[in-house]
Amino acid sequence: MRTGVIQESYGELISLFRNPTQIYWTWALAIISLAAPLLLTSHVTSMVNGMMIAAVGVIGLNLLTGTTGLISFGHAGFLAVGGYTAAILSADYGIALWLCLPAGGLMAAAFGLLVGIPSLRLKGLYLAITTLAFTIIITHIILSAESITHGSAGISTPKPAIFGLELATDKSFYYLILAILTLAVLGSANIKRSRIGRAFLAIREQDIAARAMGVPVARYKLYAFVVSSFYAGVAGALMAYHIRFVNVDSFSLILSIEAVSMIIVGGLGSTAGAVIGVVFVLGLAEVLNYVINLTGGSLGSLSALELKGFIYGLTIVLFLRFEPDGLIGIYREYKNRWINWPFRY
Amino acid sequence: MDYFILLSVSGIAMGVIYGLIGMGYALIFKATSVVNFAQGEVMMLISYMAYSIASSWTLPFWGLLVVCVALSAVVGLLIERVFIRPMLGQDVFSTVMVTIGLAVMIRAVVVMIWGADPMVLPTDIGDSGVEFGLVFLYTSQLYAIGLLALCVIGMWAFLRFSRMGVAMRATAARETTALLMGINVTRVYALAWAIAAVIAGIAGVLLGTIYGLGPDMWTQGLRAFPAVILGGLDSVFGAAISGILIGLLENLSEGYIGQGLKEISGFLVILVVLMIRPYGLFGTPEIERV
Repeated sequence: MRTGVIQESYGELISLFRNPTQIYWTWALAIISLAAPLLLTSHVTSMVNGMMIAAVGVIGLNLLTGTTGLISFGHAGFLAVGGYTAAILSADYGIALWLCLPAGGLMAAAFGLLVGIPSLRLKGLYLAITTLAFTIIITHIILSAESITHGSAGISTPKPAIFGLELATDKSFYYLILAILTLAVLGSANIKRSRIGRAFLAIREQDIAARAMGVPVARYKLYAFVVSSFYAGVAGALMAYHIRFVNVDSFSLILSIEAVSMIIVGGLGSTAGAVIGVVFVLGLAEVLNYVINLTGGSLGSLSALELKGFIYGLTIVLFLRFEPDGLIGIYREYKNRWINWPFRY
Repeated sequence: MDYFILLSVSGIAMGVIYGLIGMGYALIFKATSVVNFAQGEVMMLISYMAYSIASSWTLPFWGLLVVCVALSAVVGLLIERVFIRPMLGQDVFSTVMVTIGLAVMIRAVVVMIWGADPMVLPTDIGDSGVEFGLVFLYTSQLYAIGLLALCVIGMWAFLRFSRMGVAMRATAARETTALLMGINVTRVYALAWAIAAVIAGIAGVLLGTIYGLGPDMWTQGLRAFPAVILGGLDSVFGAAISGILIGLLENLSEGYIGQGLKEISGFLVILVVLMIRPYGLFGTPEIERV
């Protein structure tokens, strides 16, 4: 009888895949994602694109908040930095997409370092509120630096194109986002199983103990901030190309809170959980849209929006109350039950 | 000089509201180590309720205030019982996220019930005011200053002399020991939420009278964050004082340095202050070197 996955050596403990089954499933997932745009309508593909872009940013946030335990409400700010960098470079200077994406990421990472430095002395909720302050300040700077950012008018970005190949449709853009998401997932998984990831975990559990065991806490906290904001910056740049327009309203504070709610719903600290959380929260919004449309606009558009807000808030509250480990926690519980049946443990 | 005085006085009048909201944050944080992100929304809810009450019955301002205080105590207790108490024993971050979820819900409910149009809270003190030399203050602004003072003195007396207040300080100092000493900690928590809601309710009625009601009223809760961080999250009186400081600072920076600084000057200042004193001006220093 199978009694669980037994890891017998250090190498097995940190390997990317724990058993062959995982490899098969990963292949299956890869094939499904490659074939998906052929089967989906253009509208659905665009929606999936939005989800995958959000997933890139949320995986980054998960590294900071889930793995390192530093709460950030500032990711809307990093998204804005990345999005604006890409939009300005591509629209005003005509720089190619393959340079704009990393540029957005690097710019956001630089800001991440800037926010990370005051965070070295702050903990918990003080840090959360400081990062919130960062979002508010960055939005204000974007609005007032009109000569660079066009202020409240926003910037329209050109059609995404890579190496001369124009990605005009959502379906062709899908493959670019998929490639970046794959890199993001691989990056996050590899960081977590490396020395850096273990340092992050040690800091999350008890930073004084981590320091006592020789983890340079300040340096790793900054690493976490920089890596996480790089992810958010790339996601912001992709968002700019996806919506084809950037404006401070696309990066409002509520985005930070949505991102945090996504990692909570998915399950803190787990990369797969982050992706599942994005799919659930954004999927819920789509389903609600659909249901509200079914009622045929008998609700005003205003109360439809409010109803969505209400259900969204309620979802967060119910998850925290009844499933604090998130969707990934539910999955693990059922998996264990299935493996151990008829025994409970 | 006249310009300076004008800016300062209106800054203080706004800062008083920040101080009131900040006191609510600080009280809940002190007692339960949770930041209630829904504080601004509770304020908004009470002030819309005040609107409904004021438009159905003609009450004098003080009558309205008393009714709203009673109502907000009930709201505070309800929130604690329904949303917060089930989270006991979970980590702080989860509870904070619950308050954020609650905030989103309250915002939606308020707009669903009362609509998104700005309104005026009808009270009998309306536009009346007093002139001090070149400064004109609305009666409601004077009341706001007086009520903040009253809240500060009331809170001081409560924490210093009453049995429950001492219990609250004991719980804040060390929860487990307080529990072992026979303090009913859950009741202390409930009371903290009720008092915070009452202070938010007072702020709501005042804000509604001075600036009117609107669906974006909750942002005042956000803008009161610098006040409570500057004062130190666990210092109720610090929040009151730094609320006034932040109000002053916002107005002066807007007036002398540049348009739009009002929105962010508070946040800029806390970034600097936190680098030097991570626990705020009046907070309890927690010495930990890593």
